[in-house]
Amino acid sequence: MTATATLVKRSYYADSVALLALARDLRSHPGVIEAAALMATPANRALLAQSDLLTPEAETAGPNDLVIAIMAEDPARASLARARAEELLGARERRQEQAGRRAPRTLASARRQLPGADLALISVPGAWAAAEARKALRLGLHVMLFSDNVPVEDEVALKRLAARRGLLLMGPDCGTAYLGGAPLGFANAVPRGRVGVVAASGTGLQQVATLLAARGEGISEAIGVGGRDMGAEVGGLMTLRALDALEADAATEIVVVIGKPPAPAVREAVEAKLGALGKPAVVALLGRDVKARHDGRIITVTNLEDACLATIAALAGAAWSPRAFSLPPAEVRRRVEAARRGLRPGPSAILGLYAGGTLAHEAALILEPLLGPVLTNLSPAAAGPGSTGGRHRVLDLGAGEYTVGRAHPMLDPTARVQAIAGAAAEGEVAVLLLDVVLGHGAAADPAGDIAPALEAARGRELAVIASVIGTEADPQGLARQTERLERAGAWVLPSNAQAARAAACVARGEAVMEQLLAEMRP
Amino acid sequence: MTTRAAETRLVHVQRLAAGAARRLEAAPRALGRVHSVFERAVNILCHDGCLLTLHGPGSLAAPFAAAVDRLPPSGVLAPGMAVERMGERLVLDGRAIDWRGAEVVETALAAAGDGSALAAALLAASLPAGAAALRSPAALDAQRRLAGGLRRGDARGFADGALRLIGLGEGLTPAGDDCLVGALAVVHRFRRGLLAAHPGVPREIAAAAREGTTVVAREFLLHALEGRFSEAVIALASAGTEAAARDALADLLAMGATSGADTAVGMRLGLEALGA
Repeated sequence: MTATATLVKRSYYADSVALLALARDLRSHPGVIEAAALMATPANRALLAQSDLLTPEAETAGPNDLVIAIMAEDPARASLARARAEELLGARERRQEQAGRRAPRTLASARRQLPGADLALISVPGAWAAAEARKALRLGLHVMLFSDNVPVEDEVALKRLAARRGLLLMGPDCGTAYLGGAPLGFANAVPRGRVGVVAASGTGLQQVATLLAARGEGISEAIGVGGRDMGAEVGGLMTLRALDALEADAATEIVVVIGKPPAPAVREAVEAKLGALGKPAVVALLGRDVKARHDGRIITVTNLEDACLATIAALAGAAWSPRAFSLPPAEVRRRVEAARRGLRPGPSAILGLYAGGTLAHEAALILEPLLGPVLTNLSPAAAGPGSTGGRHRVLDLGAGEYTVGRAHPMLDPTARVQAIAGAAAEGEVAVLLLDVVLGHGAAADPAGDIAPALEAARGRELAVIASVIGTEADPQGLARQTERLERAGAWVLPSNAQAARAAACVARGEAVMEQLLAEMRP
Repeated sequence: MTTRAAETRLVHVQRLAAGAARRLEAAPRALGRVHSVFERAVNILCHDGCLLTLHGPGSLAAPFAAAVDRLPPSGVLAPGMAVERMGERLVLDGRAIDWRGAEVVETALAAAGDGSALAAALLAASLPAGAAALRSPAALDAQRRLAGGLRRGDARGFADGALRLIGLGEGLTPAGDDCLVGALAVVHRFRRGLLAAHPGVPREIAAAAREGTTVVAREFLLHALEGRFSEAVIALASAGTEAAARDALADLLAMGATSGADTAVGMRLGLEALGA
């Protein structure tokens, strides 16, 4: 009985000569009937299917993935040939590595290899992260501390050390930054520009940066400070230092501050610093009690899209007022009515399934005034008293309880796919609300990863509303990802804030929509 | 850093595709990232989603290429490394690639009426086998449709064949894509009106290329749809004499494992369809 074996190497590029040699080698292996080493384009997957070489694993591969497919006389020989393929590819990689420099094993040796480096990105388990960050600071390096689970007392000590040495300590749990034009961590491909950002939120920064990019504006510098920086214990140590840095930066013409509401003492210090900044500022510290206002050169906004729009307007010297949707009201009504017609009778609850924590927080803040209590798994400070119950739920799937034993949902769709299937089956949910985050570091095809589950949910008469946080220059391509979601039946809006409002309209209908349109009428 | 060490990190671009030169002039500082690294070429995925290929001295192997005096040693560069543009230099991994003084090479293929030298050389040549996938039933069917469309002046028929070739076969640039690039060279040289009169057809082929093949092959196809090709293809398609065409064909066949041969197959297919 013949057997097939497959090896898929994601985003793997070998030249044609190497691929042909590999396939030839495998065909000469004992018991191998056929072997192919092909880029997994749709046409090549069809070819493999015609030759009975297309396995379920190969079906998941895309045009930039290498598929090695082997048919052998029996499973044991197929498995041996697969091992041989792995050995050949491994040998090729080792040759390449040996031809270049050896990977450094310590920060000091990395510094010797790259003497001009001025920043260390640290991503090690939390227990060791502080020690590595301290070493980097003592080497005179700015630090982006990607690691989480760093004790707050270590964070304070590290930030004090950084401040004494005139360095930045970004983090812990700092997912995104742009320094000197280099995107760091989970970051979108956005242009350089005039907007300097201080962000206590990675996905918040991504949303603002991509919306700015869509309007032709870019980032001068974006400094991540870590989610706890503006809390009472850390006291805004790095936020204040980052504001100093942006004030001194000639390319920065306006400053945007993104995060959650600070501790009262930190709020005073940040407001004082912003007031003396000498540059206009837009403040998006998203919380339940925050009200939009314009105070001299400081504009306070209540959501991330407004942060972008207020920034663009301030740069142009133009007036700005919030808006509910970028589509005309008549078109919004048409889309909402169409979505409502597809719902099953009865359920009207919204389930938000988020990869971005700040995006989930923002969605909950927008939904609660429109729909009443929203249950979240976000921190109590972020949610508020009404958030302990309610039919509507917004879940941050990047929270610890969903990432045990698996990667963050920006990389691994498993938790979200399971939750979508669960929602479709349980009968309470009418509207699924989602974010899809693109950029360097994110999954290769995040929309494609969840699309089959969404199609199944649509089959169960659920409305799917989404936003895509990305740009056309991102590796995944904004248009391509949007189109994939739309093909799966999703209504894709240009921002998370608009998506949350659309979800409320679809769940509750005309009354909510008219309320929104009236509230935001200029 | 000593002067000697600095020099080893400075690479000069000798020749640069005109389109790439224009894009570099307008590029932001954060140009992009290293996409893929091979022994003889490095691909950079730029901020605008397009590729820039760096390879060693000689003719430009792609209409989006820069020929440098020497590539960094294999293994030094790795996918994902950031590439910055600083003035007229690219900076990656502490290395500067300077394009000041580079010869800017036009890679657009001019239209012409007389293809006799090309036809004489290409139709008489015994082409190497090329990629096996181009002889598969699916590929042969696609080639028949492509040639039939070209023969009849039927842009839709041409597109039908083209869409079936995209992403088909062996190689980092799948053989079907190479073949289609060759056929497009013939179309741009001798039947430009076929696509110009039906702008929806190149748009449809471009959309299929964006979805259905590798990043590198996509780039070749998108340029080919706009009439831009490697210097080897341009030299062959524009050869004024049979001897010049034979020399250019030899250069083309030397490209890649089978890419050059697969491109030549596409050019011959196009010429035969046009009754050359």
